[in-house]
Amino acid sequence: MPLLTLATFLPILGGLALMALPDRSARMAHGISIGVTGVTFLITLAIWSRGIVAGDFAQVEEVAWIPAIGAAYRLGLDGLSLPLVLLTSLLFLLSAIYSARIGERAASYVVLMLMLETASLGTFMALDGLLFYVFFEVSLVGMYFMIAGWGYEERQRAALMFFLYTLLGSLPLLLAIIGLYLGSGTFDMRAWIDAPPLTGLAAMLALIAMFITFAVKIPVFPVHTWLPAAHVQAPTAGSVILAGVMLKFGTYGLVRFALQMTPEAFAQAGQVILAFGVVAALYGAFAALAQSDLKKMIAYTSVNHMGYVVIGVAVAALSLDPGIRTIALDGATLQMVSHGLVTGALFFLVGMLQDRAHSREMSDFGGLLGRVPWLGWAFILSAFASLGLPGLAHFPAEFQIFLATLNAAPWAIVAILAIVVTAGLYLRAIAAVFLGPANEKWADMPDLDRREKLAVVPLLILTILVGVAPGWLIGMIHTTMAALSF
Amino acid sequence: MARDLAFLFPELLLGATAMLMIVAEMARAARLVLAIGLAGLALATLLTLPMLSAETTVFGGTYRIDLIAGWAKLILLPGTGVALMMARAELAGRPREGSVYALITLVTLGALMLSGGGDMMLLVLGVVLTGLGSFALVAFPRDDAATEAAMKYLVFGAVTGSVMIYGLSFWFGGAGSTLFSELGQLEGNTVVAMAGLIAVIVGLGYKAALVPFHFWAPDAYDGAPVSIAAYLSVITKAAAFFAFAQVLRDLPPSTGWPLVLALISAATMTYGYLTALVQTNMVRLIAYSSVAQSGYFLMGVVALGVSPLAVPGIILFAAAYVAMNLGAFAIVMVAGRNLDDMTGFGRTRPWMGVAMVIFLLSLTGIPPLFGFVGKVYLFTAAFEAGFLWLVVIGILNSVLALGVYLRIVVPMYRAPEAAPVAALPQSVLLTGVLILTGLVTLVMSALAGIFPA
Repeated sequence: MPLLTLATFLPILGGLALMALPDRSARMAHGISIGVTGVTFLITLAIWSRGIVAGDFAQVEEVAWIPAIGAAYRLGLDGLSLPLVLLTSLLFLLSAIYSARIGERAASYVVLMLMLETASLGTFMALDGLLFYVFFEVSLVGMYFMIAGWGYEERQRAALMFFLYTLLGSLPLLLAIIGLYLGSGTFDMRAWIDAPPLTGLAAMLALIAMFITFAVKIPVFPVHTWLPAAHVQAPTAGSVILAGVMLKFGTYGLVRFALQMTPEAFAQAGQVILAFGVVAALYGAFAALAQSDLKKMIAYTSVNHMGYVVIGVAVAALSLDPGIRTIALDGATLQMVSHGLVTGALFFLVGMLQDRAHSREMSDFGGLLGRVPWLGWAFILSAFASLGLPGLAHFPAEFQIFLATLNAAPWAIVAILAIVVTAGLYLRAIAAVFLGPANEKWADMPDLDRREKLAVVPLLILTILVGVAPGWLIGMIHTTMAALSF
Repeated sequence: MARDLAFLFPELLLGATAMLMIVAEMARAARLVLAIGLAGLALATLLTLPMLSAETTVFGGTYRIDLIAGWAKLILLPGTGVALMMARAELAGRPREGSVYALITLVTLGALMLSGGGDMMLLVLGVVLTGLGSFALVAFPRDDAATEAAMKYLVFGAVTGSVMIYGLSFWFGGAGSTLFSELGQLEGNTVVAMAGLIAVIVGLGYKAALVPFHFWAPDAYDGAPVSIAAYLSVITKAAAFFAFAQVLRDLPPSTGWPLVLALISAATMTYGYLTALVQTNMVRLIAYSSVAQSGYFLMGVVALGVSPLAVPGIILFAAAYVAMNLGAFAIVMVAGRNLDDMTGFGRTRPWMGVAMVIFLLSLTGIPPLFGFVGKVYLFTAAFEAGFLWLVVIGILNSVLALGVYLRIVVPMYRAPEAAPVAALPQSVLLTGVLILTGLVTLVMSALAGIFPA
């Protein structure tokens, strides 16, 4: 059974079915949404159970598309994409559960969400350059309408900025893909990885083009400015998907395209890319420290966390020791997953707080822990995970990244300073919102209901599981990374 | 002779159809005129299919039956059918509506001559035949705006047409033949080659609305009925690019024509989108956006003879462009000519709203829509021909394009200010047009493998 194709297109087919139904009530829409994302999640679990192989792509599905130019519909998986696929299908399921309260134009909302899921899964599984680009761009359209239609006060401006910025950002990738095609005569990404078609200056130009695209997506300082605007205005589930899934397009592409398809150029430019990563990590942390808006703060910590991923990938390219390379890439990939789990939970929780209080300003709150213990403790747990506490999801990832950094490019270890800053800002946020004197205004704030617990608790469990026993996840990643030759 | 005529069957049939339509129009039987037209176009399309892979010439090399001519018929004939349906939806019940259908069919015959011509005389004939019909079509409403638009169009056409004929005489003198296939003789004779080239750029550039020969386009489109604007913006324009391909693939690149056209391409797309950005009239907005799209077409022309993807790129993009631009104009017919008419359109008419979003995103070049595949071909062709800078400009203009088209999309999903007034009542014909163009725009990229390469 072509499970990969099934998982990719089931969501959009569900969306089309919903559009064709005569009954497009909110109830019906959310029922379909949860059902379809649930089944998709189960399919990705089945894909996981089929396993991956070392040194190659597993479960490849291929159908001719435009044979004349060597473009085909090609899907496949390895240890880099499989964890991200699982993360994607889980986050979409939880977002569907969380979104069940949305009544305003629910059917359109659900169709967009399902379209986004198809685009996201396709981006991670595509093995054809043109197909990858198709999925990559469709996600922009979906997210634009999501922000413009269901966002907060300044949504039109934020959505427009997001769309123009990321379209401008992603077009250089198309240039690089065309270049790779002209160098090889095919759009097959496996061929590009096995025998990088470009060398010398052409490879460096392609790398620069790809880095621009992925840097905007990750996002890396100084092209991160779309992120806070988009996050703050996006609806909660949109923020979760944007941070949890779509930022990973950037880091995934950095490994899959930049590192694997132009390895020599990447090694030459390694120090520069590393510097971008270090600056992003530090800048993200300090910028987050300056925020009083909870959502903006979490958005900036994303810049910080994704900066670590860039550091990990750059270190892997710089290191000559295969052992260190593997550790760096294991850490970077794990960091992508951890960030999805932890930041996903944090955005959900801030969204729940905003649903209740219609505010995200830290100073508006105080002493909420006694009022809403579920929400409070869930936030505290996720915040601790986000600041890198041992035993929680980010620790094993960041530990491996810094270990490899210390070995290959010791100067970059200054980025560890960012961990201290993040610790400070999260403790400050916890103190301001959940501790201290209780604000009487929120005396009757209700705690999490069943739907909200259902959306958040799985992420908390996984945060602890990945922190305490990351072996199952690292094993999957390691299978591929240890066999990677570039 | 019989063989030559057999290869020209679609053209002959179309000519006969046009004559029959004129006869039926004399009887003032508009519906019959339409029926004859649609049937003739369908039959001619079917007759094209068997000779799609032919690669020959007829009548002493003057008329080419090749990849470009074959696919041109396959794109332009159904496109004309769609335009006829749009014209009927807009003009039903108007006096002399049948003459519009007959004229449209005649102009398409000229477009086929442009796409298949292998000789300078046929090129001139094609330009004149498309031109004469088009002037009359623009003037059809008989009000001041339409008359003025048609006059501008006519004067512009007459001047550029004469310049073209004058310039072609240089080529004739230099090559000793009116056949394009003899243009190789001009190798080394740069002055003569350039004189003719400038003339062709002026003549066909006017048809294709390239900067700086585009001035007539927004006025003519705005003065004409919307369906006529839609027709002119796709069929005669696509035909002009097919003609470019027929002429220039025989001209030695050493004359430097690729660089000249690359510069025009960059100017055309940039100017088109920048001007579209400030329009408040939907017809003019799409008119300027069509000017910009001409710039993209030219990227394929620039790569002719160097990249094997140039001709397939022009064909593919033409197919996409015909579908999406006709679709966008069909929505304008329903919503009205002002940008303000779009406010709330997506909410009051959700399906048409989705269709408009699809057309506009496809015009921008967003995947997985058909326009995207066309642009990828054109970008790849220009890249391969060494015009990386042009590809970069094309890419930057895609962002500008998004800005232009989002100016339409954003108000579509605002709450409507007043109860919407439809410019046209819903009709079966129009629904058919939208379904057809929408489906082509939406799914053809998945089937892009059927196109030649």
